Amino acid sequence: MKPKPLFMLSVLIITGIALTARPVFARLTANPPAQDLLQHPVFELLDTDGENVLNGSRPVSTMKTCGQCHDTAFITSHSVHVDLGQRGVAPPGQWNPLIYRYALPDDAAGANLSVEKWVEANAARMVGGGPAEAAGLEMDCFVCHLSNPNIAARTEALQQGKFTWANTASLVGTGLVEKSGESYTWIKPAFSEDGKLLPQFAGIQDPANENCAPCHGAVQYSQEPLVLTGCDLSQWQTATTGQVISPARIASSGMNLANKDSLTRSFDIHAERGLKCTDCHYSLNNPTYPQAANSPAFLKLDPRRLSISDYLQKPDHNLARSPNFQNENDAGLTSALQNCESCHDPKAAHAWLPYLDRHLDELACESCHAPRLYAPAVQSGDRTVLIHAEQSLKDVSTTNICRGVEGNGESLSDLVTGFAPVLLPREQMEGGAALAPYNLIATWYWVAGSPPSPISLEDLQTVWFEKGQISPEILSVLDTNKNGLLDENELRLDTTVKQMAVAGRLSKLGLENPHIVGEIRPYRINHNIIGRGWAVKDCKACHSDSSLITQPMKLASYLPGGVAPQFVSDNGAITNGDIYTENGALYYRPATRAQKIYVFGHDRVPWVDWAGALFFIGVLLAVSVHGGLRYFMVLRVSRVKPEYKKVYMYSVYERFWHWLQTFVITLLLFTGLIIHRPDMFGVFSFRYVVVVHNILAALLVINAAFSLFYHLVSGNIRQFLPHPYGFFDEAIVQARYYLQGIFKGREHPFEKIPEKKLNPLQQVTYLGILNVLLPLQIITGAMMWGVQQWPQIESWFGGLPFLAPFHSLVAWIFGAFIVAHVYLATTGPRPLTFIKAMIMGWEDVEIHETAPSKDEKVPSQPISPELKAGPVAE
Amino acid sequence: MKKYLPIWLIGLGATLAVIVIPVLIFWPKREPVRDNPQAHVLPTAIHTSHADIIQGPFNSPQEVTRNCLTCHVDTAAQVMKTTHWTWESQPFDVPWRDAPITIGKINQINNFCIGAQGNQKDCASCHPGYGWEEHAAYDFSNPENVDCLICHADTALYAKGDYGDPVEEVDLTAAAQSVHMPARENCGKCHFDGGGGNGVKHGDLDQSLIFPSAQLDVHMGEHDFQCTSCHTTEDHQILGRLIADNYSVNPEEQVACTNCHSTTLHKDERINTHVNAVACQTCHIPAMAVKNPTKVQWDWTTAGQDRLDDHYTFLKIKGSFVYEKNFRPDYTWFNGNLSYRYLLGDKIDPSQPTLINQPAGSIVDSQARIFPFKIHIARQPYDSINNHLLSPITAGEDGFWTHYDWDQAFRLAEPITGVEYSGHYGFTETHMYWPTTHMVQPKENALQCTDCHAAQGRLDWIALGYPGDPMEWGGRFASK
Repeated sequence: MKPKPLFMLSVLIITGIALTARPVFARLTANPPAQDLLQHPVFELLDTDGENVLNGSRPVSTMKTCGQCHDTAFITSHSVHVDLGQRGVAPPGQWNPLIYRYALPDDAAGANLSVEKWVEANAARMVGGGPAEAAGLEMDCFVCHLSNPNIAARTEALQQGKFTWANTASLVGTGLVEKSGESYTWIKPAFSEDGKLLPQFAGIQDPANENCAPCHGAVQYSQEPLVLTGCDLSQWQTATTGQVISPARIASSGMNLANKDSLTRSFDIHAERGLKCTDCHYSLNNPTYPQAANSPAFLKLDPRRLSISDYLQKPDHNLARSPNFQNENDAGLTSALQNCESCHDPKAAHAWLPYLDRHLDELACESCHAPRLYAPAVQSGDRTVLIHAEQSLKDVSTTNICRGVEGNGESLSDLVTGFAPVLLPREQMEGGAALAPYNLIATWYWVAGSPPSPISLEDLQTVWFEKGQISPEILSVLDTNKNGLLDENELRLDTTVKQMAVAGRLSKLGLENPHIVGEIRPYRINHNIIGRGWAVKDCKACHSDSSLITQPMKLASYLPGGVAPQFVSDNGAITNGDIYTENGALYYRPATRAQKIYVFGHDRVPWVDWAGALFFIGVLLAVSVHGGLRYFMVLRVSRVKPEYKKVYMYSVYERFWHWLQTFVITLLLFTGLIIHRPDMFGVFSFRYVVVVHNILAALLVINAAFSLFYHLVSGNIRQFLPHPYGFFDEAIVQARYYLQGIFKGREHPFEKIPEKKLNPLQQVTYLGILNVLLPLQIITGAMMWGVQQWPQIESWFGGLPFLAPFHSLVAWIFGAFIVAHVYLATTGPRPLTFIKAMIMGWEDVEIHETAPSKDEKVPSQPISPELKAGPVAE
Repeated sequence: MKKYLPIWLIGLGATLAVIVIPVLIFWPKREPVRDNPQAHVLPTAIHTSHADIIQGPFNSPQEVTRNCLTCHVDTAAQVMKTTHWTWESQPFDVPWRDAPITIGKINQINNFCIGAQGNQKDCASCHPGYGWEEHAAYDFSNPENVDCLICHADTALYAKGDYGDPVEEVDLTAAAQSVHMPARENCGKCHFDGGGGNGVKHGDLDQSLIFPSAQLDVHMGEHDFQCTSCHTTEDHQILGRLIADNYSVNPEEQVACTNCHSTTLHKDERINTHVNAVACQTCHIPAMAVKNPTKVQWDWTTAGQDRLDDHYTFLKIKGSFVYEKNFRPDYTWFNGNLSYRYLLGDKIDPSQPTLINQPAGSIVDSQARIFPFKIHIARQPYDSINNHLLSPITAGEDGFWTHYDWDQAFRLAEPITGVEYSGHYGFTETHMYWPTTHMVQPKENALQCTDCHAAQGRLDWIALGYPGDPMEWGGRFASK
């Protein structure tokens, strides 16, 4: 393709400018100015009457100011941010014990809040608009769209009840407005003569990650090392999940992290690769992004889009996001759903991974790509006790126990260990469930009334404190060491007596049936993704006894009121595992088996293994006893050496077929055992053993097929078919021989001849093995192998949870058969006769007087009178 | 029995072959080894101790050389062919001169101590020869003047002083007996201390490399490379040179990362696509002068002032300086050559900074890569009538460093350098580019995407010729 002349020309011009502009070097000059290719136009700041704010001293109205060009009414009407993610939830919204309040304001009784109190309580994370408009707080566009909004000043204003001034406070420090005493003054030089902002002050932009940070969690982009202490709920996402959005290497953080030097990866690969929050969480009608909404399946792309100007006028403030995100009512927003596959093609990236479809079906990407979080997160919160008399809502939310850190995490020197999330089945967008990482947070709190609802903080304070001191009644019960103070271990309602003391006082307040309830909420982990270099790739990470998929997660170190908490899940997590206590601490262990997930090397059915092993050992014992008796009764006694003749018993193909199957079955049993119990065979690579097992299985099937063909075509198949007439008699004769005659050194009841090599017992045994066991093993094995090709077919048979144990059971029987088979092979005239014959083809057959001929090729007559020779193939 | 043996062996072999062959065919393929740099590193020859071979005493350093030459017959002749000895390149043409020119310490200037001509008393202490005096013609063809010891003796036992002669205290016999393969200290004697002190000239070479940590330099620290591990030597011709004293460089003379490393060694193909536009050094040398500071600014105008001397900020003989430590390099396109090298007599525009050397390359040069440089900025003297840079006599009895008299220093230099001096001088800003290629840090310290691809990233895309961040606007060859 020819270079485009226009492009080349522009490159030349730019290069020319660059060359003549030299030498102006970055280090001598300041940082180059940010390259705003499309800067926001200058505009007037208007107050609620639409007057320029300079004409009076009134606060800025974002609705009027931004409303000059943008449809602010449209934006506030639907933005998920105005109601703190509670759209569609009736007031008072969801109860959140972590912050000890409902999500939405409601003046009704109990723990609910008025709008004013709600705004104050949520000041640091309050965008405004929606319910807050009742308190005079407009949605604050600056918080998200200004490069450096003053969140601290804004929060302070909200906490002081200056709702109408809060959005003006966001501008303090930008050079537009200053705070003098209790009032705000507009700085005139920042405006041009016509009352508009000077261009350098009109820095309205797409939300940067730093804009999302104040409400959502730790974001670190500067060169300063990241420092986190404890699990402070003011960084909500970080506190609840340990997620940190930063391109920095973990090793370069300021935290006292265990094994820090080796953590040379970044906190989040997407941040590292320069993605912004809004790259995935984009405005839903932004025409730059795919518009999948309501498109019929045959359309890959609907080219009909909003024009840029339409979009800028009415930008949708619903943002794309993952399904079932925390605390949200999702109905009708499927077009907003984003997941890893929206950008990534996992199949293209995982060509190395065996059973790819299976893995992708059962595992969410995050399970392997977010296996550990390197920041503290909340483990549990006990809201049944109070510490200070003046405890505010904010203080209540700080009394949490953190996980991923040693000590309470308040000091910089506390060792941060990070934590591995627990894997819970998560409902998938396309149906089904896949294991995905979560943090579990357990909380306990008092409820009363019917239906029971959380009691208010005020009531709790009244009960706990008298005149600013802990109520003597409660103190006397809790203060076990009688020193007049409650330490950390005493401030727990861990006995019925303690619980009753508080409950009694609550009842006295008129609360009906006060009692403690506990709940566990799973918080999903979708960020802090790591690249392929760091992701979980070792098969044994899951295919082993210590599998990641059932690693328990500690929920709490004690149970307030002895109350076992219940799961509350509104984000797609399926919680069907076991909650159990160990040494007084509470744990959750996922139950993947309940999810019909069977992981080789991790999952086993105990009775199958016990039964199989017992059968195997029983056979081993039986042949040992039998062999021992034979040795003492017959073999030790020297006999008259009979004469032998050589009979060509096994053709080359028969021997090849036999020995190939011998090797293959032995190796299959061995590799199968490794796959079954990889922890016992640590030296073997799980992955390679699976490959070998599959190849061997294919060989077994091919060998069996060829052999069947041979036996059918040659007619030798008849050797394996018992002749119905007299079969039982013969079988009894043979059985009596093995039980009696053999010990007396008697001859075999049926002479082995090339045309009839099998005695009746062998016939029936092989009939069972070849027609029942082998096909069963092949079919179950093939279905296990094909579980990703034809998952539907497998599910008819109960899937892997049925197929795999069945396969194991048959394998045990095969193992037992081999023991018996090898032992019976020693029951020839001499112990090695049969084995040699199977190797060489020629068997030493004893010459009996009744034998009519010494010609090897002529079949011998049966020596037993009972035997009626069956049809013999010529 | 014996006659059957082969038959069952054949059977066993055939049976096992039927099993083993499919297993081998379907065995999961391992990822091919992307990079095996150690395979390219030459083994270090074991050196024979000369402690018992060399018998003293030696009365002059030339006697030592003569002694060396009795066994290593050709070596002096080899050394005398090198630019280490001649301090001068082969003649070549430059666009702005009619006649072919040569460039070297012998005839050109920099923006540190400016010029060696006439200053041999001091400057020749880094010349691998003896007795080079400014006033007498130097015999470059006398093999006995070759200084074997500067490169081969234990640096604790040997040091050079005025005119390249050993300092008086040196025990020549002990020094000669200590000879070995050149170690980092030997090369470092001149290359770490160039410009008059530790780390002055090179931002990537200083005494911290004598005992480097793996974090400082992965080659010399973690793998204990000597300089000669990469700068391999044949007949005393040492491989590797960059552009400070050159105009163009033959690629075959270069040491490149790719001599040992594959260009597609990154597991992430996205990083491998960077290799077309970004030099290895750019990402793998995130900072210069990591431990010891290097000089980034030198202002000769304050030289001679009576102020308290301080090594890092002011010396009366040299003027004022700025040193920096552990700082990010400057980046520009570089194809290995220069597009301009200031030659004595070239006119300058004193109102503009003069580039002593300007790296060649641009966004449209497919051979050019974005490369890290230390830029040394000086204010140095020029002839304010003739508008060309001046090279003063600084060393010696009559030099600037004795009398602090610029006028005298330029007049004395005029007959030696041949650069006309009008009697009027001023000071002008000059820039010099020093490529950064040592102090390669472990891969864990390499730059990450957002170091460049971010609002306040390291690279000024517009200045480099891109329409914007190529992560969003596409790379430079996208239109092909």
